[in-house]
Amino acid sequence: MTHPETASSSLFSRLTGRAHVSRSSRDVVVLHDVTKRYPNGRLALRDVDLVVPEGDFVFLVGPSGAGKSTLMRLLIRDELATQGHVVVDGDDLAQLRRRAVPKVRRKIGIVFQDFKLLPRKTVWENVAFALEVTGTPRARIKPSVDRVLALVGLTAQAKQTPTQLSGGEQQRTAIARALVHDPRIIIADEPTGNLDPVISWEIIQLLLRINELGVTILMATHQAEVVTALRKRVVALEEGRIIRDELSAAYHRED
Amino acid sequence: MITFVLFSIRRAWQGFWRNALMSLAATATMVLMLTLLAGFFVLQNVLLASLSFVEQKVEVVAYVQNTATQDQVDALVAKVQAMPQVASVQFVSRDQALADFRAQLAAQGRSDLTAALGANPLYASVNVELKDPAQLDTVATALHNEPIVRSVINIQALVDRVLTFTGIVRTAGAVILAVVGLIVLFIIVNTIRLAVVARAEEIEIMRLVGASDAFIRWPFVFEGALVGLFGALITLGLLLAAADPVSRAVVGFFNILPIELGPVGRDTALLVFGTGLGVGVVGAWVSVRTYLIR
Repeated sequence: MTHPETASSSLFSRLTGRAHVSRSSRDVVVLHDVTKRYPNGRLALRDVDLVVPEGDFVFLVGPSGAGKSTLMRLLIRDELATQGHVVVDGDDLAQLRRRAVPKVRRKIGIVFQDFKLLPRKTVWENVAFALEVTGTPRARIKPSVDRVLALVGLTAQAKQTPTQLSGGEQQRTAIARALVHDPRIIIADEPTGNLDPVISWEIIQLLLRINELGVTILMATHQAEVVTALRKRVVALEEGRIIRDELSAAYHRED
Repeated sequence: MITFVLFSIRRAWQGFWRNALMSLAATATMVLMLTLLAGFFVLQNVLLASLSFVEQKVEVVAYVQNTATQDQVDALVAKVQAMPQVASVQFVSRDQALADFRAQLAAQGRSDLTAALGANPLYASVNVELKDPAQLDTVATALHNEPIVRSVINIQALVDRVLTFTGIVRTAGAVILAVVGLIVLFIIVNTIRLAVVARAEEIEIMRLVGASDAFIRWPFVFEGALVGLFGALITLGLLLAAADPVSRAVVGFFNILPIELGPVGRDTALLVFGTGLGVGVVGAWVSVRTYLIR
């Protein structure tokens, strides 16, 4: 099955017809007619329409500078869209008050290519940090951290610091940290970019497992063989536009 | 709320010691700057005290006719005493004036020429100390119009010059203190900013995992307060240790001037603590703002 290519009109009707459905959180991410122009004039996204139902696994592909990172930054409201609507789990981010922003961010786990771990803290502390800084009572922190560390398979390494870990283990620590808030969605910006192919596969397997638990996954990547092998939904960006949006697709256009 | 405050204080303490080098550099800068500020503050106070001492020396001297009776003199002294501009009045009799003059000559090691005189050539005088030297003219005129007053020494021009000079020195002192204060402020804020920037990655992670602004800001504000507190305590310790020898040296140097310093010690302590804590907190608050939700 194929999504209508660049079919903004049909997407638009879907959106308007299902506005209330999306509010009921069937669709965890909705971008409608989104344009992002940076203050320096660069147009990073143009007229982007994207609907991601809960539980989806979406690959975001495209050359560097195509707008993948901008799209992700809009989702965590690090940037605001110049035009259009960005709706995450029923919240229109443009309408959101500043004080409510952190709560939306807790519904989103973020994983980066460079892991972004704190080098002086242990694996356990790095994961617990995400809960501490959001005001979680200490009694609730320990069981949550232990649970996600078990899920990513790092229970044995809990007391080590990131510098003592392999790249794959560091990325699994970052994924554990992203998971510890029980997010609805995980955004991964080239999570395997710094890892060798075997370790990359381990990380992908882990993300697939997390997806099976019901967490929506949005992953930007350049690794064509991974995307093609998995036959998941593929959204291709080029020069700020969505040029392809297909289910069970390959990295490259196949028709 | 209690969780939050405890969390902030614990994180501030950890943050201070985990970046010990940066924190100690910030504290050292704070100590240096506060010492500089306190030094200038004390200097300014000594200066002001010396100036008012000089101004107190401004006296109106009215010579009294030799024909004036004791009653007339007493009446004049009482009248002058009642003037609102006058701080104190002293009557110096002719005998007293001669004795003073002789004592002065003796102190200077000169021979007593007055012994050759048959009679006392000096006049009695009424010496008036003023509350404010700017009022010299009023008092001098009033005395001049008294019938038993022979003459009033006219020192208006001298007093004007003294007042102009003390005015300039006062203004310059205040300006220098303000400038030093501003420089201290910028340097301390900048140092704290460096400590915050060094932890930009940590702040970014906090933002990404959904920490609220308060959870990002307050640990840094407490840390800034900690730097301020440590800086102020060390500075006060240094000042306390230095106060005794320095003041002894200064008093030895200035012992001609019995300067009244008042509660300078207390004011300096307040200034050091207030500036340290205030600048630490404000510096951290301003520095961390850049990283909060836009």
